[in-house]
Amino acid sequence: MKKTNFWAWLWIVLGAVYFFLPLYGTLDFSLREQRGILSLLAYQNVLNDPHFRNSFAFSATMAAATIVIGLLLIVPTAYWVHLRLPQARPIVEFITLLPFVVPAIVLVFGFIRIYSGPPLALTNSAETTNILLMFGYIVVALPYTYRSVDAGLRAIDVRTLTEAAQSLGAGWFTVLFRIIFPNLRVALLSSAFLTFAIVVGEFTLANLLNRPAFGPYMVLLGQDRAYEPAALSIMSFALTWAAIGLIQWFSRGAQGQGQLAGTR
Amino acid sequence: MSQAVRIETRGAPLARPVTRKISWAWLGLAPFFLFAILFLLWPSSSLIIGGFQDPTGNFTLKNISDLFTPSILNSYGLSIQISAVTAIAGALFGFLLAYAAILGGLPRWIRTALMTLCGVASNFAGVPLAFAFIATLGRTGFLTAFLRNTFGFDPYQVGFNLYNFWGLALTYMYFQFPLMVLIMAPALDGLKHEWREASENLGANSWQYWRYIALPILLPSLLGAMILLFGNAFGAYATAYALTGGTLNLITISIGQQIAGNVLYNPNLGYALALGMIVIMAVCIGGYTWLQSRTARWLR
Amino acid sequence: MAFLELTNVRKSFGQVNAVESFNLKVERGELVSFLGPSGCGKTTTLRMIAGFELPTAGSVQINGADLTYVPPNKRNVGMVFQSYALFPNMTVADNIGFGLRIAKKPAREIKPRVEEMLALIHMPGLGNRYPYQLSGGQQQRVALARALAFSPQVLLLDEPLSALDAKIRVSLRGEIRSIQQKLGITTIYVTHDQEEALSLSDRVVVMNNGHIEQVGAPFEIYNFPTTEFVAQFVGTLNTLSAQVQDVGDKRLVVDGQAIKSAHALEGARVGEKVSISIRPERISFYSEVQKVNRMECAVENIAFLGSIVRIQVRTGANVFYMDTFNNPFLELPKLGDKVQITFSAEAVLVLRQSA
Repeated sequence: MKKTNFWAWLWIVLGAVYFFLPLYGTLDFSLREQRGILSLLAYQNVLNDPHFRNSFAFSATMAAATIVIGLLLIVPTAYWVHLRLPQARPIVEFITLLPFVVPAIVLVFGFIRIYSGPPLALTNSAETTNILLMFGYIVVALPYTYRSVDAGLRAIDVRTLTEAAQSLGAGWFTVLFRIIFPNLRVALLSSAFLTFAIVVGEFTLANLLNRPAFGPYMVLLGQDRAYEPAALSIMSFALTWAAIGLIQWFSRGAQGQGQLAGTR
Repeated sequence: MSQAVRIETRGAPLARPVTRKISWAWLGLAPFFLFAILFLLWPSSSLIIGGFQDPTGNFTLKNISDLFTPSILNSYGLSIQISAVTAIAGALFGFLLAYAAILGGLPRWIRTALMTLCGVASNFAGVPLAFAFIATLGRTGFLTAFLRNTFGFDPYQVGFNLYNFWGLALTYMYFQFPLMVLIMAPALDGLKHEWREASENLGANSWQYWRYIALPILLPSLLGAMILLFGNAFGAYATAYALTGGTLNLITISIGQQIAGNVLYNPNLGYALALGMIVIMAVCIGGYTWLQSRTARWLR
Repeated sequence: MAFLELTNVRKSFGQVNAVESFNLKVERGELVSFLGPSGCGKTTTLRMIAGFELPTAGSVQINGADLTYVPPNKRNVGMVFQSYALFPNMTVADNIGFGLRIAKKPAREIKPRVEEMLALIHMPGLGNRYPYQLSGGQQQRVALARALAFSPQVLLLDEPLSALDAKIRVSLRGEIRSIQQKLGITTIYVTHDQEEALSLSDRVVVMNNGHIEQVGAPFEIYNFPTTEFVAQFVGTLNTLSAQVQDVGDKRLVVDGQAIKSAHALEGARVGEKVSISIRPERISFYSEVQKVNRMECAVENIAFLGSIVRIQVRTGANVFYMDTFNNPFLELPKLGDKVQITFSAEAVLVLRQSA
């Protein structure tokens, strides 16, 4: 027993070091813009940079659009599969797994091949490129969003709930908005936070579609500054932490596996 | 003749509602399918088709055979190497961590904390991760400076370099092993206490229990997780780009350069590059799904 | 010298005594069941025999050897778990042969032994199946074969049937008993189901709150319970409140109606309130048989239970049951009817409180 404990502790400590050391290093580094003293100068510089504000606002807006459109697309689909078309489950699940097979870099390559010329020349204007980017984000987040919603629907047994509501005289609208959505709250919030974290930090799609998002801004800053990127890294870590923390807080009690996502 | 007609008229009212019901139900999925076709299936298949075309659109296998030139093979090789190395190392370390937290007899809060940290770390990737490692292990990074000033030991003097293969591997590990922990934790939880007791009761010692029961049961999950880790690193672009600025010739970096138009060669060869990636990822995910269904069947 | 002997066994988890002063001698070839409600310590005691728990005090001996601190994998004791605990990665044959394989027996010995075991559990030819391809009952039979294949000294069964359907439960318990008798293996059977314990055991150990309430043959346990707990737990028991009328004559009063008991009312005083108990099947209609005691009651409810009919009657504040055998010509009273019931003086037990 004692021996087992020793090895267990050793691995845990090693894991904790691997996890915290880069964070501590980055934090320490980010505070040393002024020689010899610790200061928040790097953070001030970042926050005062209009490019930071613009790119972050752009990415946050994109994230909001991605969440709303993505959920409007996926929740009814998953609900419909549960209720009416169980036979469609394999094909829908297969599609939701495809973004794993098609990495973001390949996906954006395909986007550019198709949408940079007629009949659907979406990349010709900033607005339509944004739409394309948003759908790209929905694709990237699709496996996580669908899984989260699907697990939520499974947990509440939609068929019985729907039938119970209908037997009490509820119409489709009431069923969806008074019964299904409130019961899916945790799943919807989880996938929303996760999508937000993914979209705000995303680099590949935004960079190659040439949009002024937060990810490309970070890379640009990293090319000619030393301390500000560290400050950005700490800030986006805090953002990830907040998103995951909120997910865990909302889904406490619920049987929730970890959320596996991110843009590598 | 008359009989045939009668059957037809009898059948029609029955058949029509059935077919209509099916088509209406499928219509409910139309938005999703439209989305999937426009933004997932069509773009990927256009690349796959493009890989088999010459610039004028005629069928050719030249792009595919051109993949087997040394520089491209090197790209694939490098990507495969870094994915394999980080998948194996990440799987090993992640498994040991998950084992320690779940079966190591540690306090319960350790496990909760570990799962939360891994949830965060597996999502903390891309550009910020690269920055964190530059700030920590770069030439002037925190840890490098600390080691140099305190112990007079400069990692860069003994061949370490954050911006080469091993540096990138070290960085990838930051999201690889937490992912392993997240995947293996439920699998380790699934090991029933009674299996261990039953094996002890039948005379097996701890080693024999692991050799004959626990490891065989965990093997599909272990291999499946490693495949997922492999694919995870294989498709990574942002981390490598932000860390090495494109000097490390990974396949994702090559495709990125192709898209950005930095390399002036045949775009169809670029499509073939992407096709190669899709094939490798499809094999990975296919293997993963197969192994998953195998475990699910056992543990039903 | 008994084959399996537990002496003064105690097991504490922190401040709580899960099992205390447990003494039991089991003869070779005997099937003894531990019966009690959940949390009574029966499973803990079984796990101490298997070696999964170490006793806080006392000793466990099998065939004269002290096994108290011997690790479970050196005890040569077979165990069947409630959840089957079959190894999902192995075939049925590999599961059954596992103990022999660990004992480094050659393959040419293992194979016929596995075949023999498959025949014993009536599953010949199913050796290549995987556990997930079997029904619950089949899985538990495989678990039984696995626990027997390496010829253990003692077989332990931990609620082996409680995860199964009622029908299979009954057929499998008969099968377990016949296999046990065929092999003559000393067996401990843990259950919370009294019918199971009574039907297949040589002796029953009734446990409550970590100690033994009564040890005896099923007939004894059912008909002559020595404590109120045993009487309540085993079978259905009516408890009525009565008043002592005459100690020497063993006369009592229930709701103004005098009855006689055959059991001594030692130490009781006239006018004292006591609890008496009568099994439902020992009460009859006075119109059919006439025994010493006669009471008038009102019929409150009639439940048809298949082979018997259970009638709920009331007199004053006392509500109790009487059972009567079902037959197609049975004339049942209607709800609210006044009926005369009868029972012998021997049927009236005056119980002492259990410790």
